[in-house]
This record gives sequence, structure tokens and C-alpha cells, in this order.
Amino acid sequence: MSDRIVLTLRSRPSGSVDASSLALHEWSERSDSDIGRLTVRLAGAGPVALGDLFRIEGGRSSSVRLTGDFTVFEGLGTELAGGDVLIEGNVGDRVGTRMRGGQLTVTGNAAWGAGLEMAGGVLDIGGDAGPRAGGAPLGVKRGMTGGELIVRGNAGMEAGAGMRRGLIAVAGDAGEGAGRTTLAGTVVVFGATGPNPGQWSKRGTIVALGPVTPPATYRYACTYRPQYLAVLLRHLATDRRLPVTGEHLTGSYQRYSGDLAELGAGEILAWTRT
Amino acid sequence: MKIRGVLIEDTFAEAFTMRAARLLITGATPRWAMAAALKLTGFATSVIGCKCEAGIERELLPSDTPDGRPGVSVLFMTMSKDDMPKRLIERVGQTVLTCPTTACFDGLPAAPDRVGVGSALRFFGDGFQASKVISGERYWRVPVMEGEFLVQEKFGMIKAVGGGNFLILARTADAALAAAEAAVDTMAGSPGVFLPFPGGVVRSGSKVGSRRSKTMIASTNDAFCPTLRAVTKSELADGVNSVLEIVINGVDAPSISRAMRAGIDAACRTDVVSISAGNYAGKLGPHHFHLRKIMGEGNGS
Repeated sequence: MSDRIVLTLRSRPSGSVDASSLALHEWSERSDSDIGRLTVRLAGAGPVALGDLFRIEGGRSSSVRLTGDFTVFEGLGTELAGGDVLIEGNVGDRVGTRMRGGQLTVTGNAAWGAGLEMAGGVLDIGGDAGPRAGGAPLGVKRGMTGGELIVRGNAGMEAGAGMRRGLIAVAGDAGEGAGRTTLAGTVVVFGATGPNPGQWSKRGTIVALGPVTPPATYRYACTYRPQYLAVLLRHLATDRRLPVTGEHLTGSYQRYSGDLAELGAGEILAWTRT
Repeated sequence: MKIRGVLIEDTFAEAFTMRAARLLITGATPRWAMAAALKLTGFATSVIGCKCEAGIERELLPSDTPDGRPGVSVLFMTMSKDDMPKRLIERVGQTVLTCPTTACFDGLPAAPDRVGVGSALRFFGDGFQASKVISGERYWRVPVMEGEFLVQEKFGMIKAVGGGNFLILARTADAALAAAEAAVDTMAGSPGVFLPFPGGVVRSGSKVGSRRSKTMIASTNDAFCPTLRAVTKSELADGVNSVLEIVINGVDAPSISRAMRAGIDAACRTDVVSISAGNYAGKLGPHHFHLRKIMGEGNGS
């Protein structure tokens, strides 16, 4: 048993790697040689042992560190149920898909579909996230159903699309269609919120701390101080180290109700300096 | 045993196991948090007639509250587990939900027993309410004319102790009152306790049952009534002309012991003859607070 399992990528694989079967939370029961025998599927080459791709140090630990360029790795951290996983570098598509627990931290950027259908735990992306972060796979209605997805850079299009529950916080800007077709849940955007946020959402909240233009199908309700935001933003400041200011905490918010083309029980809360 | 000439009688206070919740009420200013807390804890002196006992534990700084606003910590007790949700829903619904700017949070997050409060009060929102989960805790946002009332879905409930007490036996009513006030002032803000009676003081200590009525579950404690000294089996020493009681409820016995020790010490003043305590010969309550042990050792439960 070691404090931490460290996998260092020997060299970037030539094709995409499907790493969705790795079940990282089960590594607390595996020795380094067990881990080395696990396989991932390399496009064009079939199954490849981890020992051939990585230098592996340590075993039987719930703390895992992966270092290297993982931009061709897809589905890392799929269905993670516990433990603490640190990915040092950029990652490819679908990191943290259907994650259920634990903490998964990516120091770099994440490509398409980070936290897709996520149900629990914390996925913390240090850089940018590609389209559909915390969303539903294409053709599927249900997106994130729990947990927290933190994006410290910018988020691509349709962050939180189809969300049912959970929290997405984007420290930078969010692309077009954030919170599209949500049933519930919360998307907080510290930077600019792209066009058409919350479109066709039934419920759910988009908190826009930067510039935002609500869709035409949202209607202005009032300007007030939603007390729950004080609790939420304090959590993001204290536990997630996001750039919450005193003005965010004490400021007023314009509430827009929508999408009135749908149930209309959702909202966009747009922070106002006055 | 005497403290500054005041006799500490060799007796004990007998207290009961109750259930407690801690509510953190916040408001835009301390004024509004306190307004809600005072209403919530009003008419909550004794389970005998009020169905619950409640009191203000302490005022809270913005740094101590979940939403960063000034607040008040309230302790709320009932005799049984089943009573707690009913009483909390009634009282939070009528006194905190109605009070401008306030929000209501659970102050016992580690308690495994949880009772639904916001989960019931949400229905006031008539379908317009919304819930949010933050750090694993669900909150309800109930739309009201002012804006929004925020209440946590569930509140922790723990076993606690109700009915710690001591009696101040004095030569005059003025002396008894001055000693009681000094004791209350000293105990104010003691962590984990509250004094459920008006100003923290009871003038009408009771005995179990009644001489005349079978339906009365409590009646005047005639043995400690100065006006009945000549006609009843009095417990009062010569020179005692007034008795006041301080009742102390707390989250646990050590908290009550600490508060009793401070309060008794403060009550030992001029013209106080002795300090005694109310009990039922140890037959009813499992918690016994021996006065001399408390004053000598610091923990008498």
C-alpha cells in the first residue's frame, strides 16, 4: 500500500484511447502490477496494457495521480465513485462521465463532454472545458443529475444541457446555450454568459455574474437579493476557491423567469452592481 | 457548604431527557433576526402548557452564519421525537417565515436524527417554491411578498436535558429578584443552554399533581411558598420571605452544570439565605445535578 499511485505517460499514443473502463476508484484494491495489466482500447491497435503506456509507481491507494498529455484519452474517470484523482495535463473527451463520487481534478483543459451525465462528486477543471460540460450526451435528454463541476477557465457551448440537478460553476465565460433544456440544477457563470442561456429549460437556475442577455422567452420579474445565493456563493468561495467578491454577496440580482415557451419555472439571476 | 455566607443546601436538581434542535435565524440586521427569534421563543416556557420549551442561546456574528448575515441561535426542545417536527413547523412557519428579511438554518448539522421543516413549509409556496442543494444540504426557497424566504429542508435533533434548576431563597422579594437577575446575567450566552422562563426566572415553581384536582398535572409548590408557611409542610427556613427559581435547559448535562455553577455563584449575594433545588426525590428524571458537587467540582451530573 502506498500514499498515492502515480502514472506517468511514457509518450502520447498515436490514436485515441478509450479509458472509460479503468474504474479508478477500485485501484485502492490493486497492486502496481495489477494496474499495469489493466487494458485500455487504443484506436487502430485494440487493447493495450497500462504498463505499456505508463510508468506506474505505487498501488492500493485511493489517491491517484496521472501526469502527461491526455488529450487523446477519452472517458478518464468514468463512473468514478470515490477517492481523489489528479490529472496533471490536458484531457480528451468525456472526462468524469457518469461520475458518482470522489474528487477528480484536471489541471489543464478538458475537451468535449466533461462531467457528462455526472451524478455526484466534484469534477474540478483547472483550464477550459469543451462543449456540453455537465450535459447530456447527444441524443440523450438527461444531463448531470448531481455533484459539482467546477470550470476555472471558460466553458464551451451548452454547458449543463439537460441538467436535472447539481451545480456547474464557470469562473470564465460560458458559450452559447448554457443550461439549455434543464429540468433543474444551477449554472453559475462568473464571466460572460453566451447567447440563449436556459433556452427550453423547465426549471433550473442560471446565475450570471457577468454580462448576459436573457432569451426573448424569459420575462423580467424583479430585482432582489435571493438569500440562497449568499449560501451558494460562500460555498463556492470557501470550498471551491472561486473568485466571489463582496459585491456578489451583497448585490442585487435581476430575476428573469423562463423559459416561458416551456414550464417557465426556471430563472436567470443577473447580478447588478447597483 | 456556604458561599459568601449563603448556604448551599445538600440537595439536587432533577432533570429530564428531552429532544433539542438548534435553529440559526439570520436577518438583514440583528434587529430582524432577533425579532423573529423572540417571537419563535415566545410562549415556550414549559412543555406543560406550551408543548415545547425554547430560548435564545446567543447572538451570532455574520461570520458564524451560513449566509454571512447577523443572526440568533435558538435552542428548541420537546419531550418526544414526534413532537419536534410539529412544533418546529408551527413556530418557524408563523414566526420566521413571516418576519421580514429572515432565513432559517439548521444549527446541528452533525446530528443523525433529522426532522423535516422546510420540506413542510415549502407548501406555502403553492407550487412556486424551488429547492436548491448546496454542499449536500437541501434548501427551500419560498416566494413571499417581500422576496423569498429561505429555509433548510431538515433540522438536526439530539437528545438533550430539560429542567436543570436552582432556587434562590432570600430574606426579601427585592433580594431574591436582584440575585436572580445577577444569576441570569451571568449565565446569558453560556454555550449550549437557555433559560426558558420570562427573563430567565420562574416565580411559580410547581409540584407534581394537585391536592384538589385530578386533572391538574402540576400545581403550586406550596412547600416553598412563604405565604403558606403556617398552613403547609414548609421547606422554608426562618427569615426566608421570597423564593425564585432559575430553570436551565441544555444540549447536555455538562453544559447545564457549567451554567448552574456560574449562576449559583452569582446569586450568592446579600440577603440571600440559601440556594436549593427542585426534585422529585429522584423518581422522575434521570439527570441529577447535586448542588454541592457542582459548586465544588464543576460537574455535578
